[in-house]
Amino acid sequence: MKIFYFGRLSDRVGMRQETLALPTNIETLFALKSWLNDKHDLGGALEETSIKSMINQNLVHGDAPLTGCIEIGFLPPVGGG
Amino acid sequence: MINLLKTNFNAGARINAFTKQSGNAGAIASFVGRVRGENGDVDSLYLESYPRVTETSIQEAINAANDRWALIDVLIIHRIGTIKAGAPIVLVCTASEHRRSAFAACDFLMDYLKTEAIFWKKQIGENTAEWVEPRQQDYQDQARWK
Repeated sequence: MKIFYFGRLSDRVGMRQETLALPTNIETLFALKSWLNDKHDLGGALEETSIKSMINQNLVHGDAPLTGCIEIGFLPPVGGG
Repeated sequence: MINLLKTNFNAGARINAFTKQSGNAGAIASFVGRVRGENGDVDSLYLESYPRVTETSIQEAINAANDRWALIDVLIIHRIGTIKAGAPIVLVCTASEHRRSAFAACDFLMDYLKTEAIFWKKQIGENTAEWVEPRQQDYQDQARWK
């Protein structure tokens, strides 16, 4: 699964994107956020309410299953052009 | 048409080309935004997009403009990557039969780009680099269209 970190999140994680094979017990977006939080020591940065999530480039609200997910984007508030 | 560019562009040449291809449009409005140097505090901006998602969201704004005004053509060019102070960062061109639609749609699209378009922006100075978000004024400007 491809994971993209945008804006200030890329500084926090130390990369813009990574490709990961998830453990089989990570089946939902919230579980993934928590797992990534521990893996990268993010101090809850992905779980802030201002962070939006896109699964396969579609915005999701709340938790969601990761079935069929090939790409996730974590988006902090946009900065404007 | 939407163009996200990693390299500098010549706004004047793009406006001329847009004007030529806009057929019998009686009105062409254009807006060029440049990176403000903030009296030497800002050397450059770094703009990040989410490829395809950013373009799709801008296209939705163009569709909304087309629903609202009778437009003949629209062009949006936006820089991504590193843009030096003074360089153009955005160009919006609109063409319509009469001036009011072209003016309004250009203004509307710029307000969208400043607040809702999917860009992340880092301001880089000699010893600073910080991610910035829209100003309150930008949100107020955008609220005029709701």
